[in-house]
Amino acid sequence: MGCCFSSDSETSEQNEEVKPLIPDPNLDRKPTNGSERNADSLPSNRTDEQALLTTILQRTALNIIDVSAVDSQGMEQHEYMDRARQYSTKLEVLSRTLSQKKPVPLPSLTSQPHQVLAADLVPYADLQQVSKIAAYAYSAISQIKVDAKEELVVQFAIP
Amino acid sequence: MTTALTQGLERIPDQIGYLVVSEEGVLASAGELENDEHTAGVIMQMVRTACRFRLHGTAEPPFKRMSVMLEDYVYAVTISGQKVFVVKRQNNQREPVNV
Repeated sequence: MGCCFSSDSETSEQNEEVKPLIPDPNLDRKPTNGSERNADSLPSNRTDEQALLTTILQRTALNIIDVSAVDSQGMEQHEYMDRARQYSTKLEVLSRTLSQKKPVPLPSLTSQPHQVLAADLVPYADLQQVSKIAAYAYSAISQIKVDAKEELVVQFAIP
Repeated sequence: MTTALTQGLERIPDQIGYLVVSEEGVLASAGELENDEHTAGVIMQMVRTACRFRLHGTAEPPFKRMSVMLEDYVYAVTISGQKVFVVKRQNNQREPVNV
């Protein structure tokens, strides 16, 4: 008849598209290679869903950066110092341009400062009312909580 | 220049100290706030923060005077002509007593 679908060809196309510019050390890891090999060996028995799942898995494996697996290369002392110097020079240049921004000028609240400051103080009753309102607000905020209705983590049921 | 600034502050009822502060620093000080650069710095920060409040998207800060009310004193603060005026006043207000 003919080959209606082959996961083999699809995989190679994808690899060309998403091939990283810098060789990714994680791609040499076993699990990725293992899943690819599995896909190659069972093309004819897979349903469309299975093939789709494999594609998703492979794409994820290509895109995932496994931080725990990265081998830290360990720079030389002088390289480290050089880089630190480069960064601090860059920062100095940037902070110089930032500090040149004019700070917001003080707005003028009144033309009669002495009059405003000599005016009656805030009445005790007002102060009490504001304190009460603030206490209510504080109490309300402290009562905010999560109402857990369902399980957060569920198992997908694959028939 | 300083006398013009401070004369009015001296006459404020029950004042026990005052400060006049600009962006550059303290211009005048007296009473309990004499040479109190620390308080000047704190109040400058507070009033600058308060000036960022806006009510309903208006362009101006929504207040003329900021009062920092403590147990027995009040710091009354306002801004005029690029200068921050601070007056420390006695706070004699207490709970009204029903006789």
